[in-house]
Amino acid sequence: MATLTIKNVQKRYGTVAVLKGIDLELHDGEFLVLLGPSGCGKSTLLNMIAGLDTITDGAIEIDGRVINDIHPKDRDIAMVFQSYALYPNMSVARNIAFGLEMRGMNKPDREVAVKKVAALLQMEHLLDRKPAQLSGGQRQRVAMGRALVRDPKVFLFDEPLSNLDAKLRVDMRTEIKKLHQRLGTTIVYVTHDQIEAMTLATRIAIMKEGVVQQFAPPQEVYEQPANIYVASFIGSPAMNFIPAQIVSEADRIGVRIEGAQGASVLPLPAPSAAVLKKVGHDVILGVRPETIARYQHGTNLPPNFARFSAQVSVTEPTGADTLTYLALGGRDAIARVPPKEAPNAGEVAEFTVDMARACLFDPKTEQRVG
Amino acid sequence: MASLQDLPGARGRYAIFGRVFLYAILLLFAAYYLLPLGVMVSTSLKSAAELRSGSLISLPRDFSFEAWGFAWNKANVGVNATGLAPYFWNSVVMVVPSVLISTFMGALNGYALTKWKFPGANLLFALILFGSFIPFQLVLLPMSLTLGFLGLAGTTAGLVLVHVVYGLAFTTLFFRNYYTSIPDDLVKAATIDGAGFFQIFFKIMLPISTPIMVVSIIWQFTQIWNDFLFGASFSSGASAPITVALNNLVNTTTGVKQHNVDMAAAIIAALPTLIVYVLAGKYFVRGLTAGSVKG
Repeated sequence: MATLTIKNVQKRYGTVAVLKGIDLELHDGEFLVLLGPSGCGKSTLLNMIAGLDTITDGAIEIDGRVINDIHPKDRDIAMVFQSYALYPNMSVARNIAFGLEMRGMNKPDREVAVKKVAALLQMEHLLDRKPAQLSGGQRQRVAMGRALVRDPKVFLFDEPLSNLDAKLRVDMRTEIKKLHQRLGTTIVYVTHDQIEAMTLATRIAIMKEGVVQQFAPPQEVYEQPANIYVASFIGSPAMNFIPAQIVSEADRIGVRIEGAQGASVLPLPAPSAAVLKKVGHDVILGVRPETIARYQHGTNLPPNFARFSAQVSVTEPTGADTLTYLALGGRDAIARVPPKEAPNAGEVAEFTVDMARACLFDPKTEQRVG
Repeated sequence: MASLQDLPGARGRYAIFGRVFLYAILLLFAAYYLLPLGVMVSTSLKSAAELRSGSLISLPRDFSFEAWGFAWNKANVGVNATGLAPYFWNSVVMVVPSVLISTFMGALNGYALTKWKFPGANLLFALILFGSFIPFQLVLLPMSLTLGFLGLAGTTAGLVLVHVVYGLAFTTLFFRNYYTSIPDDLVKAATIDGAGFFQIFFKIMLPISTPIMVVSIIWQFTQIWNDFLFGASFSSGASAPITVALNNLVNTTTGVKQHNVDMAAAIIAALPTLIVYVLAGKYFVRGLTAGSVKG
């Protein structure tokens, strides 16, 4: 258990900058997820924490100790690889004990440590097998056991679930979360799967082209994305982005969008100073599909809800919800409505949107406004 | 997948005709390849008297292993009537260390070239690979100078050195290509686990190299056992390997030409490589294709 500090870390290969100054600070027992598409530098950063790659500039500290020039084996870290990287020639028990063996621990102590970890991961019956005789999920468990047995300060996970089938992936995800809750270890976890990031992390760092776009707890990343990139990366179906304009109408501020029957103005509850400055400017309205609902006639809307009508182009029932495609602001927007309330394709229907949960983005910088 | 013969329409008249044609050609080629060996075996089992009376391809009337025994320890090799036996052991003493050392060093090279990439690793590999294209006649003179300088001229140790040096190009190629298919994560995991260069090599890489090690051993064994050029150039008299001794036995100009003894001697000289192929041949094919398809 430890704190991890990443200070202005950079990585260049020749003239190509892969990481352009990363700053992250992790408290004891935190679960950091590095999230981003392939090529964003997240694995490079993990390898630099592990010591498998050199740091061009900046510093990485574990518990306040700079580890830039320290050999991987002396960093007190353990890593779980995407390919599991189990030693094919060794039994499961020896795989788990290998790190201890290399550190000169005697055999009886190693056996005790292996037994303890095997019990923790419920794989006592696998100890004598070779990796080739294990299923994907079992290999994954052994790889975690190999990391756990050393009781390191920081755990590093490099896309550990991406080689598993869908069902097993969900199970192992829960198991990793349970393990983290039980052991309270500091973890850095790399993935490109936003669901894994949301479910596991205490904080997510979303990366793009070597730059951290946002570093915040999952719920904050979801509700207050720093920019359009983050907003579109997290959430499925993705957030709707609707071209709009901020207008001042009578005594209130709102956004004007083009709907089925001309423009409608959706009032903004409690607009911030930054939003007020943008009156008259174009913005991009970001609306999550679940904040759009069917308008029930005769109900009194809370003040933060706005009403608009739109033409429905397609509906996609998913069982729990029906995804409804609306023509809004010249493009398709998706609403996630309960199946009972789902309109028919082709009809013009009235909807409400919770404007307190909407986001506004600057169309040029793509950053969130206010 | 269903077998090809079970596909609909695969058993028509033309298909059967094609199959018969195919087997006929295969049998013809098999006979073509086996005939010389057959003649050798049959001649070696004939007595001297029968040789003179019968034709070359007639089968022996009564089997006699006399020629084999004679070739093994009585025949004239050069000027001494020692048979092939001492030279056979010369070859064994030369081949075993040559094969083991060159295979081991090839494994070490392949491991360093793939898992511990350093600047210029690919260039170095290309240069090592170049060694497998050099005609060995080209290096005879410089090599004999080198052996003389090292004081190894005319010794078995000298021959071992020559075979190790010129085998390295091949063994490095084998192991380098095999280790390319082994994921780098294995080495990274072991590094974090605290293992160093040699610990990873001995505890992880070597134990998973069996298929390619078999390939390397068979290849090197065959090459070195069958080598005549280096053996004839760098050995002298009693230290000559069996290939050189066979040449001396067959080319002896004094006395009557004993074809049955010549044939028996040739088979004796070829037997070890044949046995190695029979015992380990399937690993050879398996190892050559290992890594080309994902398992």
